[in-house]
Amino acid sequence: MSAQNGFHEEEALGKAYDARLMKRLLKYLRPYRAWVIAAVLFLLVGSLAQISLAFITQHAIDDYITTKTADGFLLVILLYFGVMALALLASYGETYVTMWLGQKVQYDIRMEIFRHLQRLHLGYFDKNPVGRLLTRVTNDVNVLNELFSSGVVTMIGDIFTLLFIVCALLYYNWELALITFLVLPLLVGATAIFRTRVRDVYRKVRTALARLNSFVQEHITGVKIVQLFTQEERINRKFDSINKELQTHHFRSVLYYAVFYPVVEIIGSLSLGLLLYYGGFRLHDGSLSFGELVAFIHLVQRFYRPIADLAEKYNILQSSMASSERIFALLDTQPAIIDVAEPKHIDRFQGRIELSNVWFAYNDQEWVLKDVSFTVEPRQKIAVVGATGAGKTSLISLLYRFYDYQKGSIKIDGVELKDIPAKELRSHLALVLQDVFLFSGDYAGNIRLRDQSISDEKVREALERVGFGRFFDSMPDGLKTEIRERGATLSTGQKQLLSFARALAFDPDVLILDEATSSVDTETERLIQKALDELLKDRTSIVIAHRLSTIEKADKIIVLHHGQLREIGDHAELMKQRGIYYKLYQMQYKKQASQKEIRANIAG
Amino acid sequence: MPEAQIDPKPPRFAVLAKYLKGYKGYLIFGGVAVLFANGLLLINPYLLKLIFDALEQGKPQSQVLYYVLLMLGLSIVAGLFRFFMRRTIIWMSRKLEYDLRSELFEHLLTLSPSFYDRNRTGDIMARMTNDLEAVRMMIGPGIMQISNSIVTIAVALSFMIILSPKLTLYSLLPALVLPFLVNKLGNLVHKKYSKIQEHFSVLTAAAQENLAGIRVVKAYRQEPQEIEHFGQISQTYVKLNMDMAKLYGVMFPLLIFVASMLNLVVLYFGGMDVIQGDIPLGTIVAFFSYLTILFWPIMAGGWVVSLYQRGTASLDRINSVLFTPSIVKNDRAKMHIAEMKGEIEFRNLIFAYDGQPILNGISLRIPAGKTVGVVGPVGSGKTTLVSLLPRLYPVTRGMLFVDDVDINDWDLGSLRGQIGFATQEPFLFSDSLRDNLRFGEADASEERVRAVANVAALSKDIEQFPNAFDTVVGERGITLSGGQKQRTAIGRALLPDPAIVVLDDATSAVDTETEDQINERMHAALKHRTTFIISHRVSSVKEADLIIYLEDGKIVEQGDHHQLIALDGNYAELYRSQLLAEEIEKL
Repeated sequence: MSAQNGFHEEEALGKAYDARLMKRLLKYLRPYRAWVIAAVLFLLVGSLAQISLAFITQHAIDDYITTKTADGFLLVILLYFGVMALALLASYGETYVTMWLGQKVQYDIRMEIFRHLQRLHLGYFDKNPVGRLLTRVTNDVNVLNELFSSGVVTMIGDIFTLLFIVCALLYYNWELALITFLVLPLLVGATAIFRTRVRDVYRKVRTALARLNSFVQEHITGVKIVQLFTQEERINRKFDSINKELQTHHFRSVLYYAVFYPVVEIIGSLSLGLLLYYGGFRLHDGSLSFGELVAFIHLVQRFYRPIADLAEKYNILQSSMASSERIFALLDTQPAIIDVAEPKHIDRFQGRIELSNVWFAYNDQEWVLKDVSFTVEPRQKIAVVGATGAGKTSLISLLYRFYDYQKGSIKIDGVELKDIPAKELRSHLALVLQDVFLFSGDYAGNIRLRDQSISDEKVREALERVGFGRFFDSMPDGLKTEIRERGATLSTGQKQLLSFARALAFDPDVLILDEATSSVDTETERLIQKALDELLKDRTSIVIAHRLSTIEKADKIIVLHHGQLREIGDHAELMKQRGIYYKLYQMQYKKQASQKEIRANIAG
Repeated sequence: MPEAQIDPKPPRFAVLAKYLKGYKGYLIFGGVAVLFANGLLLINPYLLKLIFDALEQGKPQSQVLYYVLLMLGLSIVAGLFRFFMRRTIIWMSRKLEYDLRSELFEHLLTLSPSFYDRNRTGDIMARMTNDLEAVRMMIGPGIMQISNSIVTIAVALSFMIILSPKLTLYSLLPALVLPFLVNKLGNLVHKKYSKIQEHFSVLTAAAQENLAGIRVVKAYRQEPQEIEHFGQISQTYVKLNMDMAKLYGVMFPLLIFVASMLNLVVLYFGGMDVIQGDIPLGTIVAFFSYLTILFWPIMAGGWVVSLYQRGTASLDRINSVLFTPSIVKNDRAKMHIAEMKGEIEFRNLIFAYDGQPILNGISLRIPAGKTVGVVGPVGSGKTTLVSLLPRLYPVTRGMLFVDDVDINDWDLGSLRGQIGFATQEPFLFSDSLRDNLRFGEADASEERVRAVANVAALSKDIEQFPNAFDTVVGERGITLSGGQKQRTAIGRALLPDPAIVVLDDATSAVDTETEDQINERMHAALKHRTTFIISHRVSSVKEADLIIYLEDGKIVEQGDHHQLIALDGNYAELYRSQLLAEEIEKL
């Protein structure tokens, strides 16, 4: 469960019916029109069968029991049984088909959301926390499932059942039927009052509960502060007042229920009493039979349930409106990074990257990259250095088209980046991020991801090349070994090696790498450096470098500072300039250099 | 769930029993209400028989009216009792919920950080919400339903036997299937339902992973494969649900079928009896009525069993929190309460957490009113060192003294109340800024609040907020920047006028200019207080009376700034690289 994004988000309930939303929701039923009709038919047959049981009872009483005829009585009983069986079948069919419908629609909507999420640009994910998006795919869809499986069809069914019963009652004896309907306003009135009261108090309960839960969550998260400032007593008092408030609302709701149920029972007795008393008169004057009276009693009992059910459906409607509103908002968000109408293709990929006067901002006018220009020749190794916040990560995100630059141009082999379909562009590149993201599953799955065209051999080769092969010697399941807890048991160094292997397996033309800053032990460092050499061999590469060795091997070093390209050249040239790079070197790399020297001395 | 020091088997009902004892009155009165509510209502079908008899025998309508009025009267009295039934039993369950929730929360506030390191907030919240509700359902609706069922079945059966023993026997034979059927189907449903839930977690995890790893997915163009993979999982979810649909499809219609079956049996055998003149028609009508009433109480048996199962499982989980002892507490009745001077001594302090040594022999004596700067690499034990001062974690006797009193002898309230602590992560509550600043002393004067805000260089920021000091921060209010949060936390720490102040990397997100301002203002504010400043920036600790450099839980360098520079060790190295960083920043 993703409870971390709070207990107060999305508690608000909107209106119960919104024609615009409903219309859009019903569209999802369109492909299954035949099934909807089938469900309604099942429902009609079922409720007709249930009602006709009352007719058969009447027939049995009037024509056999009161007239004391045993002949043929068993036949009527068998008919009763037959109709029961029919009702059973119809009811089974109805439940199954409605649930099937709900599941189908739920699946369609869920996949539509998921597909849409895959198309959305990264900026959207920056703005919306995973927990929130997850709720759309999971809970919100489930709410809609409820609407389709037990809402729509059942509601149609309830309405028809009511109609049938009304007709049946009128058919038997319109006078008695009207007398029965006399108590209806009472019942509807009581139910309506109860519903509104309960709904109000329910809202209050929800609000109080949300308040209480967020209070608890907040003070559990900040329990250290409470304890450090010895405020336990005061916080307990505060908690108590919220807890008390919730209790008050709960008490209120208990009262409503405690009143409502007996009232309904009393109304039922009243209607039965009226029925019996007036039925008595009609029996006396012969316009009503005993069987009809009994059938009446049965039908009247059936009458109340659909009314209560209809009120119940209100809640489902309400929550599904809220959920669908959120879902549609997501579906209506257009991806910001889309392929142009007439895309251009790179015929023979060389790997020449040319940036001229590139400006980029995540938010309006807050420029993260300012007027950056440089050229990467095929098979060149470029190291990007700079202090935190210099714009290094943004730079590589642009190359990947995670975001689009606002001004200037980036060209790959002479083609403007924005004109190349994102898929095609990315198929030439591989990205290794600082924080290695591992998926649940085995090693092979984390290297090839879900690309089945990458064979086990290729996976193994990639792992060997980054020097990860030896770790498998002790694993009985080899490549099929599960990575537990998404790599929590792996060291940072091992995780990096895995991400290198992943990039190698995809064998990109251009490698884009954000070197991890975290320090690793000497042995792992040696492994990583070897793996890096392997990775960067014979391809264009752009590396956000933290390692001295990487920088030294680079053909070109680009120094970014506050979003601007300030220095460019190789190590020796830049050292001579005595500028930013020189200082950065003093600050970060000199230590590595001296450590290397020490290691060399020890080794020597 | 790893909850180390939990009593292996806390007495399951001990906590519940404690509260229920107080609600004895509710229980007794509730029981009486259940008895009368059902007992009286069950006379009605018998009256129905009498009415039918009267009609059959052609008695005058006044007789019918008499019975009808009696019926109505009984319904009203029974309704009254039904009202009391809910008003006592469900009412009580709400009271119990309140009690349990209070106790849980109160207990949670006493548990030390190590408990929270082991238990995720989500799990604890689940105890406070779902588990609590399950226990309440067991106590409230559970008790009400089971007593309802017992009374209804007993009374209805008696009436039915009086009316016709033979018909009772025949009609109840199929009814015997019901509890069995409900139980069996219920178990099946439960099994299938858990399977669905399990798979739903798989589905959620798959979506969550995809969303969290969206960069990798996009970078390696895995979108189509991800869609296919997720599609398969969703498909399985549909399949499992359809399995359930098949069962559901059978279950409810089948129950209704059995119920109709009862009616059918009565209609046939009762009908034959009437035809033979053994019983009047009214008896059949009364039987129909009794069977309708009996249907739910019989079925409810299965429901109550599952309420009990869920309730007790939840109760165990709640107990596991309630029976976790607090490892840091006042362990004697009379503890040391005094005004603190602020002299601190670490005597060869050793501290390990989860078997991992964190601090390995720290010895240090700090006279009252002095400032200590603590620097060192990540994981060297800086935060742990200062966390021991307010006893956030247990400290072995004889290792840490404040004013020459062992820290274990200090009254916890007195100790913590005189230490002002600004933590690394500046956690603020979603309250007004004022309430956050005076968190340690809720009735602090406006002057004091403004004074500490000024020291923490917050005044200017606050002026710009829509409601000044009344501005609510956090999820329901405005979002503060990291630096503003930290400065609020500093103000909060200073407000209660503490003898010892700990600033644990408390200005890491504050820009250098503002930091200089704070340092300058705090200088005066901290003059008479013993102060610990943990920082990654040399500039924050430069002026300290004593600077210690920690590495692997040991003090490797100590002295004042000039001494440490002269020593030309780790500290000097750190200092140089920071000077360079500043220079670069200015380029």
